[in-house]
Amino acid sequence: MVRRGGRVTTFTVVGSPGDRRLAGFADACRAEGLPSPRLVPWASLLSGTAAPCPAGLLRVESPGGDPGVDALLRGPGDPARVGGGARWYAAFTAALNRLRAAAGPGTTWLSDPGDIAVMFDKRRCHTRLRAAGVPVPAALGPVTGYASLRAAMSDAGWGRVFVKPAHGSSGSGVVALAADGARVRAVTSAVPAPGGGYVNSLRAAVYEREDEVAALVDALAPDGLHVERWVPKAGIEGRTFDLRVVVIGGTPTHAVARTSTIPITNLHMGGRRGSLAAVRDKLGAVRWEQALDVCARAAACFPGSLMVGVDLLVDAGLRQFFVGEVNAFGDLLPGLTGLPGGPAEGLDTYTAQVRAALAREAAPCGT
Amino acid sequence: MDVDEHLDRYAGLPVVEFGFDDAPAPGERVAWKVRTDYGPPGEVEEFVEVFDRFLAAVDTTEVTHLVFGYWGPGYEVSSAVPRQLLLEAVPRLPNLKALFFGDITREEDEISWIQQCDITPLVHAYPGLERLDVRGGMGLELSAFSSTALKVLRVETAGLGAAVIRAIGASDLPNLRTLDLWLGTQERGGNVTAADLAGILSGERLPALTRLGLMNSDVQDEVCAAVAIAPVVARLSELALSMGALTDDGAEALLSGQPFTHLVELDLRHHFLTAPMVARLRAALSPVKLLLIDTAQDNHPADGEYAWYVAVGE
Repeated sequence: MVRRGGRVTTFTVVGSPGDRRLAGFADACRAEGLPSPRLVPWASLLSGTAAPCPAGLLRVESPGGDPGVDALLRGPGDPARVGGGARWYAAFTAALNRLRAAAGPGTTWLSDPGDIAVMFDKRRCHTRLRAAGVPVPAALGPVTGYASLRAAMSDAGWGRVFVKPAHGSSGSGVVALAADGARVRAVTSAVPAPGGGYVNSLRAAVYEREDEVAALVDALAPDGLHVERWVPKAGIEGRTFDLRVVVIGGTPTHAVARTSTIPITNLHMGGRRGSLAAVRDKLGAVRWEQALDVCARAAACFPGSLMVGVDLLVDAGLRQFFVGEVNAFGDLLPGLTGLPGGPAEGLDTYTAQVRAALAREAAPCGT
Repeated sequence: MDVDEHLDRYAGLPVVEFGFDDAPAPGERVAWKVRTDYGPPGEVEEFVEVFDRFLAAVDTTEVTHLVFGYWGPGYEVSSAVPRQLLLEAVPRLPNLKALFFGDITREEDEISWIQQCDITPLVHAYPGLERLDVRGGMGLELSAFSSTALKVLRVETAGLGAAVIRAIGASDLPNLRTLDLWLGTQERGGNVTAADLAGILSGERLPALTRLGLMNSDVQDEVCAAVAIAPVVARLSELALSMGALTDDGAEALLSGQPFTHLVELDLRHHFLTAPMVARLRAALSPVKLLLIDTAQDNHPADGEYAWYVAVGE
């Protein structure tokens, strides 16, 4: 047993029962000789029935895909639907604020709720990264719908953009758009729902009729959009790729190449893990280190967070790196062990975080 | 797919990107690549500037293999721009033997968004070309031409116009060994018929052909039916009918046509064949090396809406 001041260290996790993320983290705790974490269910937190948070190490996990929790966040409806991000975000951040208000001084947050709130607003996240000199794709200003999007693209001289719901995750509602006059091509997770609106599909949809694309963008816009220039991504093994790099305690510890034959690389949408060795070969040792350094710099924009997951784009010319997203809950990478030679070599993302959190606790004048 | 990753090698040589990769050692044979980036207007070097620097920096009399990559967004820059650069550079490139005209990945521009042009002037200006690869069918034009040098001709498209196919069939290419055409779909301007292929399939002007690829077609079954009775097949060692919407109908046509057992290799990858048909093909075509992996169904189970599709259709 790991003891601190004579007490056994027990984590408290905010999460949704049944989520495999919780099981993964609990397994890591037990493997490190710690008790199973205490659980604060998101449902209780959101409905205001949560018991006060005990002192100690507090980890906030994703609300996950629990339909009841989704209803509390976005309101009733099909959990697979696209949209509702603004309401989701308001409820999510309000709950985090309640949690913060209720937490005593003895609580050590593994991730600062303020950081999490910024990461779940792609506009604020982009601004923070850019202000810190972290390379990000250039972004358009606010757009209010399809017409305003096309006008802004035209003003910027851009024909290809990624349209992202400001509060989306897991690729939901993301639209990779190419446009030349009335000729358009949009690749997205969103497909029309039988009763109106859009739902997420595991198979990307392609729209080439402008009225379809306009309807989609107009449907997404009220929840807030963040629009970035489409950075053409590089390829390995005959597929397009980007990188998910987990940064723990400031150090990039885990990396996975996500490859796809469509612009969206999310692993649940046809993306699959590619060979990291192939990426390193393609980049060479110097640029590989540069890539990891960009991820570390992105993570440093969130100093209150023990872990973030950075989505790193490598441009088709292999010259530049861009941070596409920083994910507060970006560590769900089952079976992935840490980079060789790094502090998490041989460890999964959860075990690496448990150890890093304990080390931080043990350090004099630690957080 | 090829369209998702830049060429590492071209025509047997390592690709060296000008201004980015380490310069080759003296005497090292490489395929030089010239490209620009997609970026905000004014913030990236234009293709013409990169090519000018290339001409100034490299001993161009030693350049034998050239790869032209991304030359700007297709909606703004057609390949007439790089074509003009090549036409002007004829005196500088006396030994050019191989040209890849459009090593542009799907992330840079979908293949059907690449704006091609009439490439006939290129084959006239470089009569010593032994290999020509072109990516992109939109706007692509070609008139019948003659070349005793050309050994490899490959045209990758999501939609290849019938006029280009007929022009190739009407060209005199006595030393052409490899001809690969990605025929594409009607949706993208591909409208191939058996009559369009007749010139190629007769083989009259292609006496040296040993590999024929008629691929990536939404009417792959019809293409198979035409190939099944084509005189040119007898001289081939490799035949590729891959990447398209190949169903049992097309395979049946192959089985009921002329014998294919003289082939070394028959490429049917990305197919929609049933297991019994695959078994029949294996039995009938032994000892031909039959490429049947990468069935399309492995990637996306066929359903009503997406039943059959080509490998590169966008």
